[in-house]
Amino acid sequence: MITETLKGLFKSGAHGTEISTPDLAKLAPTRDERLFLILSIFIGVISGLLVVCFRVAIEWIKILTLGSAPHGGQYRLLLAPALAGLVVAALVQWFFPGARGSGVNQTKAALYIYNGYISFKTVIGKFITSALAIGAGHSLGPEDPSLQIGAGVASIIARKLGLSRQRLRLFAPIGAAAGLAAAFNAPISAILFVIEEVIGQWSAAVLGSIVLAAISSVVVARRFWGSEPMFRIPTITLRDNRELIAYAVLGVVGGLFAFVFSRSLAYLRPRLHALPRWTQFCQPAIAGLLVGLIGFVGFPQVMGPGYEVIDQAMHGQYTWDILLALAALKLIATTLSFSSGTPGGMFAPTLFIGAMLGAGVGSFEKLFFPHLTGTVGAYALVGMGVLFAGFLRAPLTSVFMVLEMSGNYSIILPVILANTIAYLLSRMLQPVPIFEVLTHQDGLDLPSMEEQREETPLHIEDALQPPSVPVILGADAIASVSAVVNEARASAFLVRLGDGSWYAMTANELTGAAAALSPETPVEQAVKADRVPTLFPDLPLDNALPYFPRWPLLPVLNRANRGKLEGVITLNGILKRYQSV
Amino acid sequence: MAVFELRTPLSAEERAEKRRLILRDSIALMSLFLITAILAVLTYFLFVSFSRHRDVLARRWRTSGEAALNSGHPEESIQDLHAALEYAPGNRDIEIELAMALAAANRNAEATAYFNSLLEAQPGNGLIHLQLARLAAKEGNAALAEEHYQNALDGTWQGDGYVKRRTVRLELAGYLISRKSYEKAQSELRTAAGNAPDVPETQLEIAGLMERAQDPADALEIYRAQMRHRDAPVEAFEGAGRTAYMVGRIAVARESLARAVAHPGFASQDEITRESVRQMLADSIRILDLYPDPNLNVQALAGRIATNAKIARARLTSCFANTNAAEALAELQDQWEQIPVNLTVRMLEQNPQLEQTTMGLVYGTEEQTAQVCGAPTGDDALLLKIAEMPLAVQQQ
Repeated sequence: MITETLKGLFKSGAHGTEISTPDLAKLAPTRDERLFLILSIFIGVISGLLVVCFRVAIEWIKILTLGSAPHGGQYRLLLAPALAGLVVAALVQWFFPGARGSGVNQTKAALYIYNGYISFKTVIGKFITSALAIGAGHSLGPEDPSLQIGAGVASIIARKLGLSRQRLRLFAPIGAAAGLAAAFNAPISAILFVIEEVIGQWSAAVLGSIVLAAISSVVVARRFWGSEPMFRIPTITLRDNRELIAYAVLGVVGGLFAFVFSRSLAYLRPRLHALPRWTQFCQPAIAGLLVGLIGFVGFPQVMGPGYEVIDQAMHGQYTWDILLALAALKLIATTLSFSSGTPGGMFAPTLFIGAMLGAGVGSFEKLFFPHLTGTVGAYALVGMGVLFAGFLRAPLTSVFMVLEMSGNYSIILPVILANTIAYLLSRMLQPVPIFEVLTHQDGLDLPSMEEQREETPLHIEDALQPPSVPVILGADAIASVSAVVNEARASAFLVRLGDGSWYAMTANELTGAAAALSPETPVEQAVKADRVPTLFPDLPLDNALPYFPRWPLLPVLNRANRGKLEGVITLNGILKRYQSV
Repeated sequence: MAVFELRTPLSAEERAEKRRLILRDSIALMSLFLITAILAVLTYFLFVSFSRHRDVLARRWRTSGEAALNSGHPEESIQDLHAALEYAPGNRDIEIELAMALAAANRNAEATAYFNSLLEAQPGNGLIHLQLARLAAKEGNAALAEEHYQNALDGTWQGDGYVKRRTVRLELAGYLISRKSYEKAQSELRTAAGNAPDVPETQLEIAGLMERAQDPADALEIYRAQMRHRDAPVEAFEGAGRTAYMVGRIAVARESLARAVAHPGFASQDEITRESVRQMLADSIRILDLYPDPNLNVQALAGRIATNAKIARARLTSCFANTNAAEALAELQDQWEQIPVNLTVRMLEQNPQLEQTTMGLVYGTEEQTAQVCGAPTGDDALLLKIAEMPLAVQQQ
């Protein structure tokens, strides 16, 4: 409704006229740039409000369907997720096909395939179907949908304002960061996640807007939920360095769980997807029934996102055996819910499993080595980061998420240790990250963020050659220059001009100048008006490529002393360097 | 808002187009602002309604949980309090109640874990330490239990900390008594008695614990102090009589027990207690009848000694006949042979040395036969009682 209103208003504002990009470039060359920042704030605020509504909707639906105090043995635990599954499946199949699957991948698809386009219908569909599924007890989280809702809001606003295609594409990650930040109540983690998993690289062009949007959305969310983190963070200390062994164990356990989780999804999801289409109407219902069964037999904690259970685990309210059982059951429940195509995210389940594992390891250690351990909450918190690093494969976000949530940097050592172990172990066991596995299953070929992050771009120094061509001063006479060039049999040479600039001259150019000018004429009078670009060894190698149609070779100078020539680069040398990667 | 710079040389048509663009963007931004404002208002009302509902649910489940806990249904209480916490996360009182419910349901490991985590947030909370002490006691970890009890005594308490600390100290004393750590218990009870107000219920509770901690002398002092109060409760008289009897102060015991029996509240005591008090009173009277009180006249004293000697000799003969411990009693037998068999009152009147020797032999006989032939009954038991502390019998 809101977006329809927006659409109507924008139409009336535009008077039904469309302005082409070249027109815009002439009429208002800085329009996009300025709107970009203003709209980032609007996107943040609207995303924040929608995410608050989304979470409230989930809670209301939970109370209405599962009751205000769900516990084992209640038949509604079986019925609610199954019936919700039926409704959600019908909605997804008939009305909102774009709501199916992971919000992260759909946002990436919008960014890389559809020029930042996310339809209003998808946003509405994601909101309704996810709220219904998660509220009714499917083992999924609200963060992925929030991310997609934010991205969708950004896409709609950018489209309605008629921004350029390039800007339009950048808006999706901005909205994604805003949605995720509001859902997580952790802006830095959201920003880092979007950079790590959606954009894949740091981009100054979009970073400012992402930060603005994320902060705006978190300010809005905190106005409602308060500034406290999503979980009450207990006292966190590293009492004894020997505790690091336990954190390392947690890293190993987390890495193994991440592998099992990834493999389960990678195995079950395509098989369910390959079943006849009519089964997709009942798959979420069957998944819901099975998840409900887990709740019915005494583990209702695995139903829904499970934030309160994470909170309880963090405060030592479960014994280690129950914690490990909850981690295993949540893994099964989430695999069922997600594989069945029920809309919802995997962030909360990942955090849930991680927290249970962490608290389990912490409780176990507390039981057997009572004088060695810190708080169980510290282990639970590190456990969340561990699975985030191992399963979602976002190592940087996983570290900052824990630090941001705890507000305590004294835990950084255990976090880095455990996360690194989990990340490396998971990578070794499952080379393809889960988001990539899911995109491949969906028949898409999106860029691998993990690969992008680890790409080492070539620099000019990588293709730098010693200056084998003659280097001439601009004041030298054409005759003497010709003699030097002929003697060197060079097809081109460098001229250092009186003003400190450089010129790359070809032998043919010199021959032409010699024919037209007297032999005593300084060579700098024979050069054309343009100059070679100033290049330094640390610049990206592809920066040099556009200059080669004009110049036969390019000098590379020293940053501290521009008069000093470090070497030259040629097109041939650059191509050879790229071919050797 | 001027979003664009109006400086480029444009044609008249382009300038008109640019003005339209500015107008369009301005309207769009205004619309966006309006939509944001409407959405914010809607979200606010939705959230407020939701928050109120959560508060209602939290209260409802807490009340239900407390009721279940008080009515002895801890499992039900756990579910309810868990639900209450879901709608009021971080509510410390509910958390403590939940942990108590876990403990009441004998889910000790969970309760301990829960209390430990609460303790991390509030390291000096006396109530949490007390609960952990109870759990440790239940688990048989005496050292940890005592440590938590001590921390509870030193910890902070909501409300009247003075009263709560005394209650904890008495609970600690009770625990120490159950562990047979009587000296530690006596120490705690003396501290409690020193700090406790002069209120009969409190003083009687402390005195009762002192009795259990094998400190009847201090208990007697408290009971006697309470007896001096106007409208002193019958328990004070009974306790004084009982403890005085235990420490051998039979005269005090007789007086206290007699007053207890005469107390209006005595009739409301249960039958077993009444019978016990009556029996103890009868024994006290009999002991005083047997006791060779030095204040008696010579004839009465000699008469009592003669009676006691007769009783003790019969006890020795009986014990000698019924056991194979002849060797253990042989020396005693030899000593009795020094005493004339037909010992008369006159003989004793005339020979104070014989009186003293006879009474010494009476006490020795009762003590040794008790060891060899088991606990005596009847007058022998009463003589043994005198033998334990002969000088205390008439002590006031």
